[in-house]
Amino acid sequence: MSTSATCSSEFCNAGWAEVLTHMSPYGYANFGIAFGLGLSVVGAAWGIWLTGSSLVGAAVKAPRIRSKNLISVIFCEATAIYGVIMAIILANKVKKPDEATYYLDEDWDFAGFYYAGYGMFSAGLSVGLTNIASGISVGIAGSSCAIADAQDPSLFVKILIVEIFASALGIFGIIVGIIQSNSCTFPISALG
Amino acid sequence: RGHSRWQTKLNRRKPIFRSGTCLFPAVAYYHQSIIQSTLSFTMSTPAPKSGPGDMSMFNVLHGFPEALIRGMRNSFLLDSDYHHLTQCESLEDVKLNLTESDYAESLADLGAITPNELQKKAIEKLVVEFKYLRTQTVEPLSTFLDFITYEYMIENIMLLLKGTLSGRDIDELIAQCHPLGLMKASTMKSIGLFEASAKGYSDLYQTVLVDTPVGKYFAMFLQESSESAGGETKGVLEEVEIEIIKSSLIKYWIEDFYNFVQKLGGETSVIMGEILRVRADTNAINITLNSFGTSLNEPEFRTSDRKRLYPAVGHLYPAGTAMLTDVSDEDELGRVLELFPQYSTIWNIHSAGGGEKSIDDAFYERDVQMLELAFEGQFHFAVFYAYVKLKEQEIRNMVWITECILQAQKDEINKFVPVFSQHAPWRMAKRR
Repeated sequence: MSTSATCSSEFCNAGWAEVLTHMSPYGYANFGIAFGLGLSVVGAAWGIWLTGSSLVGAAVKAPRIRSKNLISVIFCEATAIYGVIMAIILANKVKKPDEATYYLDEDWDFAGFYYAGYGMFSAGLSVGLTNIASGISVGIAGSSCAIADAQDPSLFVKILIVEIFASALGIFGIIVGIIQSNSCTFPISALG
Repeated sequence: RGHSRWQTKLNRRKPIFRSGTCLFPAVAYYHQSIIQSTLSFTMSTPAPKSGPGDMSMFNVLHGFPEALIRGMRNSFLLDSDYHHLTQCESLEDVKLNLTESDYAESLADLGAITPNELQKKAIEKLVVEFKYLRTQTVEPLSTFLDFITYEYMIENIMLLLKGTLSGRDIDELIAQCHPLGLMKASTMKSIGLFEASAKGYSDLYQTVLVDTPVGKYFAMFLQESSESAGGETKGVLEEVEIEIIKSSLIKYWIEDFYNFVQKLGGETSVIMGEILRVRADTNAINITLNSFGTSLNEPEFRTSDRKRLYPAVGHLYPAGTAMLTDVSDEDELGRVLELFPQYSTIWNIHSAGGGEKSIDDAFYERDVQMLELAFEGQFHFAVFYAYVKLKEQEIRNMVWITECILQAQKDEINKFVPVFSQHAPWRMAKRR
């Protein structure tokens, strides 16, 4: 282990800053779309399995809860829908340049280029991570809601309010995500 | 100077090994075997395949059975049902009232009910529900449910042993066994073929019981009794032998169950651990109380025999059980229990005497309160144990009510402990 670890090949990096800034904004943007959609779906699926198993079990002895408690499953599904909405919005903003050149022109809108990439990546993460949390909490609350409803029907609406607050977390994510990605557009040709 | 104070303390605590490395393995083994031979033989509980999971992962494997059992919680008789039942004049009225409860199907094909028939049908219903649950569960919940059945297996084995000793027919005894603890028919029949001596028991273990899940408790009992077997103790043992065997087996079962539950961790270990600790203490107190007036209470047998029956878990262990060993009558027992507030209230009910409540009733009330509280939390296994025990309490209640109606003793009819009652004393106290 030598202390002078200077790199001497032609592919050397000057450090993390160089690595990160050399990653293409298209890569950032598309990963943002993938995270946004994928993590939202993970959260929704987690929530559905948590609430669905309790719903199925409690409905064996108390069949009247079947239809009402599907609302919990719908709330979980809504978090997946937020992810899909965000992914579609972001995917429409990714545009390919008019001309296929090897190097970008000097007067290419680099500011807008990088702004779009980073903006869409973080919008995807905003939506995805908040939807995981929202999905899990709706799932746990929905599981308790099904079981409590089987016991005492008057509890259903009260526990549903807990679930509404839990799914509001997903809405926060998509609102912030839309604000972040609002003015992100990929430039398609050189300025001027 | 050089080392910290912590380090010098550490160095002072190494009496056995002085020089280092090559001695270490041999010396550690020697040290360990000293510990093992001075303590009683410790039982190893196999670790569960996975934990139950916290609230975000529990429902993956156990969500369906837990929701099932919470649906089954609806089937307990309500205060209004108990009220109607106690107003019944005859057993036909009782049957009519029960057709509106969850017991309708089980009693449909019964002509006239008697308390014994009612008990049998109610237990059969519980067993059908339990078997359905057991088939829907996976590890580690299935092992947990198996542990619940081991208690009934121990009771069945003891019933068969005791019955064949007094010369009853084995088939009649098998019909009386508790259905939750049944083993293979061949196993149960062969239990009746052994004699009640030390050699007989070890033959019984090696040929028959070793294949049953409760065989290891019997092995521990045989090991323990052979360690302490001397000329004089044999005589005492034969007198109260079957009861001692049963208490020992139950003790090992409680300890095994407790170890398993602690290895599960999470909410289950908290709630179920508490339930089992209280159970162990109840057993210790009952053993002491029942030993007054028998040969187990004599000073020379207290430390050797009675102390061995106290479980090694519980709030009373180890200080309380050490004190209980020396207790010779009820006053001393009361003085020991004064030190433990949760048991002193129960003891005061017993020592106040009178026909109102016995100590068993006080224990049942406390148990029902604890088991109802197990239903307050979600995502743990204790609800399964609580359901079985509360259902048993309900069956006891129904049998009590029907017996009182049959024997026309209406003033005793209200001495039962209702389950999930809105009028339970501890619930009413909270409301005030």
